[in-house]
Amino acid sequence: MIPLNLPAFAEAERPFVTRLRTQNHSPKPSDSLLVDADETGSSFAGKNGLFAVDGTSALQMEGDVVLVQPIGGGAARMERLLRAGSHHNTLLVTERCDQLCVMCSQPPKKTHVDRFDLFEEACLLAEPGTLIGISGGEPTLYKDRLCSMIERVLGAREDLEFHVLSNGQHFERDDIERLRNPVFRRVCWGIPLYGAEPALHDRIVAKDGAFARLEESFATLLLSGARIELRTVLLSINLSALPSLARHVTRRLRFIECWSIMQLENTGFARNRWSQLYVDHGTNFSPVAAALDCAALHGIPARLFNFPRCSVPEPYRAQAPASISDWKRKYMPPCSACREREQCCGFFEWHPDDEAIRAVTPL
Amino acid sequence: MRTGEKALCVSDTGRFFATSPNFLDRLCGENLTSEDWDLLADQGCAILDGDALGAVSHIYGVAERLTRAGALDYLILVPTLRCNLSCTYCQVSRAGLHQPGFDWSEETLGSVLQLLDSLATPRIKIEFQGGEPTLRPDLLRAVIDRCERFEDRQFVVCTNLHELSDEILELFDRADLYISTSLDGDAATHGRNRTGGDASTGQFLANLRFVIERYGPHKVSALPTIDAASPPDIDGLIDAYVEHGLESIFLRPINYQGFARKRYPGAREQSDAWRLYYERFVRRLIERNWQDRSRVLEESYFSICLRRIFQPGADRHVDLRNPNPMGVDYIVVDHDGTVFPTDEARMLSRSGVVDLSIGDVANGWAGEKRELLNRHATNQFDPACQRCAYQPYCGRDLVDDIARYGRIDFPKPETEFCRRHLHIFDFLFDLIYDEDPAVRYSLSRWLRLAGTPPALGEILG
Repeated sequence: MIPLNLPAFAEAERPFVTRLRTQNHSPKPSDSLLVDADETGSSFAGKNGLFAVDGTSALQMEGDVVLVQPIGGGAARMERLLRAGSHHNTLLVTERCDQLCVMCSQPPKKTHVDRFDLFEEACLLAEPGTLIGISGGEPTLYKDRLCSMIERVLGAREDLEFHVLSNGQHFERDDIERLRNPVFRRVCWGIPLYGAEPALHDRIVAKDGAFARLEESFATLLLSGARIELRTVLLSINLSALPSLARHVTRRLRFIECWSIMQLENTGFARNRWSQLYVDHGTNFSPVAAALDCAALHGIPARLFNFPRCSVPEPYRAQAPASISDWKRKYMPPCSACREREQCCGFFEWHPDDEAIRAVTPL
Repeated sequence: MRTGEKALCVSDTGRFFATSPNFLDRLCGENLTSEDWDLLADQGCAILDGDALGAVSHIYGVAERLTRAGALDYLILVPTLRCNLSCTYCQVSRAGLHQPGFDWSEETLGSVLQLLDSLATPRIKIEFQGGEPTLRPDLLRAVIDRCERFEDRQFVVCTNLHELSDEILELFDRADLYISTSLDGDAATHGRNRTGGDASTGQFLANLRFVIERYGPHKVSALPTIDAASPPDIDGLIDAYVEHGLESIFLRPINYQGFARKRYPGAREQSDAWRLYYERFVRRLIERNWQDRSRVLEESYFSICLRRIFQPGADRHVDLRNPNPMGVDYIVVDHDGTVFPTDEARMLSRSGVVDLSIGDVANGWAGEKRELLNRHATNQFDPACQRCAYQPYCGRDLVDDIARYGRIDFPKPETEFCRRHLHIFDFLFDLIYDEDPAVRYSLSRWLRLAGTPPALGEILG
């Protein structure tokens, strides 16, 4: 696993954003240069003073955009916000949420720390052509702050794009004008829908009326010309409803850019509810196949996320990309013999090994 | 529907369902029950009060059915009108092999290259037509070389594959180049229609085999031109394609163009005999696909029409789309630099029926004539099309109407275009509701599905 948060020591008293440089190319004011390194850590210096990081070699962090957060008495925490060369960079803009999904991988907290200004600074330092993920909690609880950050960053940087995960509970008719701003063509909203039956969706997200509210938001987003990635996490309670959801999508949500059907991640709430929630698609693929066929029939592109390729029947395998982020992906020992490993998502780092090993049949 | 008791209902968005005569009576008599309304809403064919998403989604669905022609990125180029064959049904009235004055001049080539330089799109598709374009490999090369700057390139050379020089093969070796040719059936049929002799038919078949062996069948497409008055044996025709590893067959009746206008006057209207032949052909493909699952045979145009029913936005086939804008995203540049909106418009002008040129490559083509054509390039407001269930799937072909009837305001149901498509869509919906697993298997393959769904259409009431 690639560590994203590292213990540190810092001279600064306030949090700051900087880019790590191990070599003195032509340093910019925002860069921090490596001054010393040994087996246990490295120290950097920049306009915010000296700071030292433990745990990962400086070379592996070359070019990373990091946030150094002092926590008192010289101690600090360094977050690698935008790792150089990675396609999986996500900014967690809040930990508050107004839904409480049964399988939430990032259980919400009550308090919110506003770090939008620091994130904005980081985004402006992103490598050319980066797609930056935004997640939470629920980012649109701070819709105005979020949209302002997006507008400023994308206004200044024509090469960047955002992917924002949102529960879609907070878009309003008044947002349409704002979202029609052409910079939002470079924003894709990842929005979950778990079933075509309102009661089923509401039960999974633990919020009454969530389905109806989501439908309002979809109408708003369609009128805004917004790009939408629809997301459905597969659970024991919605597997059999997947074909009817597919039919619903092809009738009412044709404007989405793509539909991602996602296998469960063994973390957060799903960890303790694993045996209740997890459903092995390998033993019952037919509802998934029916959903994929229905989507394909009506020209809706659909993909399978977090589905190891050997667990997917051959005709559908091309729809299962290497979706799990690099920093939390693992393979089982037999996978090294598999000819499709490069295209395969593997398993989440925290997926139970005994289950994973049983699921693997190298191709 | 053509068979059985069911009626087919299609909304403006192209969503459809089959229904019983009882439901239809209630629908037409405005006697729908509240259950009926719920079913209709569930189909996306009715919007209930307060359903904001249903309303905008419906509007989106209607818009999805309209072609959005982008910037010019598809050129049909005719570097020469000369040809080394003289097929009986030649649609462009080709020029003799040694006739002077039927090739691009230096100036025309210069203007074509300038046009390429001026295009703003990242992708380009170029189809070389003729005459026989391989008579001028130098012109093909000049055009292809000039396209290096495009991110995405596709070249198609429409050739009779009669002569294969080293120079031509060097061009064919490019991964972004595809070969399109004619194969009318077995050697005897092909010889009768096209080459006029056993020796040259043998040479063509040897060349076809050679390019398929060298590049694989994915790079080569062929289509048979059929004389509907005496069509070839179906299995013989299919075998001629299968033998070469070709799985897509674009069954094309003789086009009422060029020399064919005089030699095949019957080609103006397709007969019931043709339609019967076409159905037998498609049904035979279905049987053969079911018997031998190792490959999928298809009639290309049938697949295009099938995909248009289910998948709005399948508009890349420019002969079937709506609206069908002329001279916008693709044009034809003739041997003398004249610009036509379609290849059929070029043929028609060459036959002396009506001049449908819209300009020339040096001076542009955005004039009054193009505007006039484009004011009528839609089926949306035609009184007959408006009442037709197949309107969302169908297209508009002005040039075909002019070619056959000399006018564009002929009542649609009396045009060949309309009769042909009515027949294809009638036939398609028969098959969509056919419960035979062999039918569903082929349809699912033609729709490019990974699996075979238990049903392709729903039945209501």
